[in-house]
Amino acid sequence: MSIRPASRVDLLQGTLDLLILRTLLLGRTHGHAIAKHIQRTSDDLLQVETGSLYPALHRLEARGWIAAAWELSERGKRAKYYRLTAKGRKQLQAEHAKWETFSRAMGLVLKPLNPEEV
Amino acid sequence: MKQILRKLGWMIERGRKEAELRDELQFHLQEEAEQAEAAGLMAEEAKYAARRELGNAALLMEDTRAAWGWTCLERFWQDLRYAARMLRKNPGFAFAAVLSLALGIGANTAIFSLLNAVVFRLLPVADPQQLVQFTNTLPLWETGSSSGRELYSYPQLERFQTQSKTLSGIFGGTRLGRINVGFHGTSGIAQGDASSDNFFSVLEVTPQYGRFFSAGEDRAGASVAVIGDRYWRNRFGADPSIVGGAITLNQVPFTVIGITPPEFSGIAVGSSPDIWVPLHALDRLRPDSKRWTEPFSSAWMLIAGRLRPAISRERAQAELDVMNRQFLAEQLPISEIGGLENVQRFVHEGRLVLRPAASGMSSGLRDRYAFPLKLLMSVAGIVLLVACANIANLLLARASNRRREFAVRLALGASRGRLVRQFLTESVVLASVGGAVAVPMAWWGSLALVRMISTGDSRVPLAVDPDWRIFAFTAAVSLLTGILFGLAPAVRGTRVDPGPVMKKGTRGAGRSSHTLDRILVVAQVALSVVLVTGAGLFVRTLQKLWNVNVGYGRENVLMFSVDAKLAGYPSDRAGAVYQEILRKLQALPGVKSASASIVRPVDDQFYLLDRVNEIDGRGLPERNAIRVAWNATSPGYFSTVSTPVVSGRDFEPRDNETAPKVVIVSESLAKSAFPNQNPIGHRLGADTIVGVVKDSLYSGARDQPRPLLYHPLFQHGRDQEFGWGFVSFELRYGSLSNLPDEVRREVASVDRNLPVFRAKTLVAQTEESLMEERLLATVSGFFGALALLLACVGLYGLMAYAVARRTAEIGIRLALGARRDHIMWLVLRETLWLTLAGIAAGVPLALCAARYAKSVLFGIGTADPLTIAATVVTLIGVAALAGYIPARRALRVDPMVALRYE
Repeated sequence: MSIRPASRVDLLQGTLDLLILRTLLLGRTHGHAIAKHIQRTSDDLLQVETGSLYPALHRLEARGWIAAAWELSERGKRAKYYRLTAKGRKQLQAEHAKWETFSRAMGLVLKPLNPEEV
Repeated sequence: MKQILRKLGWMIERGRKEAELRDELQFHLQEEAEQAEAAGLMAEEAKYAARRELGNAALLMEDTRAAWGWTCLERFWQDLRYAARMLRKNPGFAFAAVLSLALGIGANTAIFSLLNAVVFRLLPVADPQQLVQFTNTLPLWETGSSSGRELYSYPQLERFQTQSKTLSGIFGGTRLGRINVGFHGTSGIAQGDASSDNFFSVLEVTPQYGRFFSAGEDRAGASVAVIGDRYWRNRFGADPSIVGGAITLNQVPFTVIGITPPEFSGIAVGSSPDIWVPLHALDRLRPDSKRWTEPFSSAWMLIAGRLRPAISRERAQAELDVMNRQFLAEQLPISEIGGLENVQRFVHEGRLVLRPAASGMSSGLRDRYAFPLKLLMSVAGIVLLVACANIANLLLARASNRRREFAVRLALGASRGRLVRQFLTESVVLASVGGAVAVPMAWWGSLALVRMISTGDSRVPLAVDPDWRIFAFTAAVSLLTGILFGLAPAVRGTRVDPGPVMKKGTRGAGRSSHTLDRILVVAQVALSVVLVTGAGLFVRTLQKLWNVNVGYGRENVLMFSVDAKLAGYPSDRAGAVYQEILRKLQALPGVKSASASIVRPVDDQFYLLDRVNEIDGRGLPERNAIRVAWNATSPGYFSTVSTPVVSGRDFEPRDNETAPKVVIVSESLAKSAFPNQNPIGHRLGADTIVGVVKDSLYSGARDQPRPLLYHPLFQHGRDQEFGWGFVSFELRYGSLSNLPDEVRREVASVDRNLPVFRAKTLVAQTEESLMEERLLATVSGFFGALALLLACVGLYGLMAYAVARRTAEIGIRLALGARRDHIMWLVLRETLWLTLAGIAAGVPLALCAARYAKSVLFGIGTADPLTIAATVVTLIGVAALAGYIPARRALRVDPMVALRYE
């Protein structure tokens, strides 16, 4: 049983796509590994639900941002491997820039929070 | 498009994608389980953990499929199957709904088919939008029923043809009317047209066999003829070898050079010529010395042309108007009749106007029926609305019964949009089935309508076969209908709060939800009021027209026409033939009296106008000339058609060619020419008045009494001068039995080649003259009855449902000793209230709508109290009937059963 950390962050709408694209920038891999990678790199703060992961992967594939092929995994099983397409790379850049702007803006607004004010 | 192709491709791939998705998830589970095992869990436990982590696998697959992008189609397919299943489960409801929809949509399609054929259908020629017809803003001569504004003279055609730079081709044409076509010794009557030799080339029609007229072929002595496809099939058995063969037209030899293609049947709606000859062939058939040179007294052609590409109609019109005025101004001083006020006015004030002719040249049929058909189209639209309201109501009742089902589905996570979509799919399926059933019904209906308006000796040539326009219309109407009647029940039916509904069961809808049903029923009643009032107005109009005192007796008169010219008689010998026929007719045993005339009562072909400009040798200034309608009759005409001779005498055999010229006048003419005098013995022009007859309505019941002049047929000889040459015979008979056959025998005994046509009784002729009114009265009556039936069903449905819902209440009331008539009244009262509300809304609506139809009414106002009273009484009667059955059912409620039932 996987115990979810109490402070688990809910994914914002659309951010899962960005995370998947960013993960695939490191190289092609299958769905399970993508989920684990996101979980690991976020110090277990972000847990990708399988129920959202696969619809997202198929959606990105339908849009042509990622492509899929059946290959053998390290353990010798058939697995569906996803990789970033050129279109996906461009999309990642755009989304990334957008996210940067957004988080900077959020940061600017939220910064001056003193414990006394709350 | 690309989107759709991609989706289709995926549909085919679907099975593979599905398997892949399963594999992918399987792999995910295995990975998860292995990792869990590696973290120290037992193999079994690890599997369960992986499953738990995956969550709702079905939902996950559903969501992933959604990402593929064709769930829409898939859901639609599901909805379709579901809808079909629901309809199969309720055959009664499905039958009622489909039937009323089919009637509504079918009625619309049938009327639209006719309207399409009469008004919209484009000529089957290349680029019909480029065609224009020449018209005048003023008529040169008033020719009665047709205003004569489309008529031009031959010199004008020549001028336009040689000088116009804006039109790529200009042709002229005229009707020949009936011609006798002889072929290998057999003869038969056909309709002929004469046209300039560029007629087919300007229209860009290509022959099916042979060739059409070539340039320069329209010259003196022209003897070529083109045969229409339909006539070629009927008369010549579709034999292509007829091309190059010899035929005779009115006993004059011609050579067949070509056959028109099947789709081309002339250039005006309702007239489809069987034979075309070049204009100059007219000289061989019907000589007229003024035909080619006189611009004013001899305007007999319609002229039309084709605009050059990129030239607007306005520009062409500007060019041609100037050209035309110049031409007329040149001709005015030369013409013999150039001094006449009428001609002067025409030349100075008239303008040439180009009318778009993409859907054909001006047509009497179109003028006559376009407006009635548009009226009927609106009526049919209202019928469809009533049908929609009816089905919406049925669906509402059903939606109430399905609340539990919806509640369950909402509780299981279906979105409301999804339910609405499913509901709409059901209603669109219903509407589509209705539309599909409507197509053959409409086809049959439009044929019946064409038969109904066919007054001549043959069926009106109207192409009402379904074309893409009609299919598009039906499809659009069905779809719209489906959405219209489905939307309200869909939105309201799905507004369900799952909790309470599931607890309460199927019954027990909130009070407020029944307002909509009531509004729908009230709307049905209101629309029915409009339709029934309309039907009433049209029926009353027909009655009034029928009861007009026309000045002649309709009963027991048979009429028929003979044209000696068709049998090859020159005009100077025609009179003798007609006299011979008349003698034979008078000798027939069943005939009380017989006569001949040029114009027959309620004539559908002739209208002769003249001016009296000399009284007793005194010339009248042109503006005071008396405009008269005239006719030429044989002795015995007035007694045959029962028009009383007021003073003086009827014509007699002694009024022959050598006797002094005599004339008979109508009372109106007598009054205006000789006020307070006895007109007998006075002279009009060179004719001496010998009799005065009662006024009669020259051209049917809508006509006003007008000055009428009668010449003696066999003295005057004016029929020959007029050039039409055929006369009508009238017979007053005791019994009709086989009189028509005897008549044909007698005429054949004079000359076997004399064709008899237009044989009909005066009653039938009158009926035909009232065809638009009859069409309106019959069809709107039918639609009115249909709307009433639908409204009745709607009321019945609502009340039956209300009674069913209130079974328990009624049971308690009865148990507590409520009187039966009280319970009855309880149900009837609501029905009557709804009906009264509908009537209150419908009557003002009907009054507004009637104003729109004002021009076709006769003898009654738009707010005819009798019609409205009859409508109200009818509706209340129908409502009482609709309420009575549920009311009786309410009375039969057994209190014990009702209480236990709950």
